[in-house]
Amino acid sequence: MTDPLEDARSPRDRAARQRFVLDDTGFDEVPKKYRRFYRKWGGVNDALARNEVLCPVCKVVIRSTRELRPGDRVYCMPCMSRLVVSVGEGGRLEALVAY
Amino acid sequence: MSDPHDLPKEVFLDEVHSFEFWFQAVAGYLTERPNGHDPSIEEADLNSSEREALITTLCNYAIGETAALEASSGMIRFAPNRRAKIFLATQVVDEARHLEVLLYRLSELGVTHLEEVVQSRANRSLLAFRKRLLQFVDGHDWEAALFAQNVILESMEFSVFQAHVERADPITGDMLTGIIKDERRHMGFGENELGRRLAETPHIRARLQAVKKELDPLVLDTFEDTLEQVGVERSERPELGRSYLASVERLGFAL
Ligand SMILES: [Fe+2]
Ligand SMILES: [Fe+2]
Ligand SMILES: [Zn+2]
Repeated sequence: MTDPLEDARSPRDRAARQRFVLDDTGFDEVPKKYRRFYRKWGGVNDALARNEVLCPVCKVVIRSTRELRPGDRVYCMPCMSRLVVSVGEGGRLEALVAY
Repeated sequence: MSDPHDLPKEVFLDEVHSFEFWFQAVAGYLTERPNGHDPSIEEADLNSSEREALITTLCNYAIGETAALEASSGMIRFAPNRRAKIFLATQVVDEARHLEVLLYRLSELGVTHLEEVVQSRANRSLLAFRKRLLQFVDGHDWEAALFAQNVILESMEFSVFQAHVERADPITGDMLTGIIKDERRHMGFGENELGRRLAETPHIRARLQAVKKELDPLVLDTFEDTLEQVGVERSERPELGRSYLASVERLGFAL
């Protein structure tokens, strides 16, 4: 049986998402169990992976175990922001704050 | 632990505002920093003008931290929800620590009569900002106090401390790095709490715009003065000003 919701998504959305194994990079501003989901940003030349997005509020890199796509919601625990992933300039993913 | 990004919104908000979250977070970076910095770092050779400029800067940081300590503790009384009250309790502790480690650093630099020296080097605009902030607190004006402290003061401190870290002697830099980790929470709390408030009660926006207009010259004057002391080139200052103004802009206020 086909899921009607599944059918409504774009082909890109339906494509399986790449999974990521996260390692602790030494980011120490959140409790240990959350550390691997964040890392320090290296500035404008820091290339973000497909499972990463920059927090516009506090400039920490947020990481997910899945590839991120526009419309995804992520949390920045270091600054307690709720964010929505969107496509920014040049097609790069960026996060917008959703209060 | 599965992806924290999958947590329901209410669970996430409870978690990040909690005392438990704060406790486990600060344990990660404060345990190795007794008195605010790694004790194995050696004191750098500062010439007398560098030392004087640093003392003046730290005195003004101490004024800002005292303002935040006094304001955040007063705000617990009239904070409109449980999460904000608990979070502010953690902020009070953070600000008290910031004040304490700044004064400790001043004493390491040979300053005696700390309170007098701090007062004598205070920037007038910063003192005026502190006075106005405490008036908002005394008037139990939640939105204005939150805006003045957790959005305006915190984002200014966040930008200034980051600029200072890049140019500081190693001990001051390590101390500021520890402080910045706390300020990230305070600033984020302000923007998000106020963002939710503005969404629920849009009519407060005009009043806060007036608060911003009143405080802007005080903030910008303090900002300029501190960046000068810290040694930030004039050409780099607009960029730092922009990052400070970004949160105000995200909240939808005219710059
Ligand atoms: Fe502080
Ligand atoms: Fe703070
Ligand atoms: Zn953040």
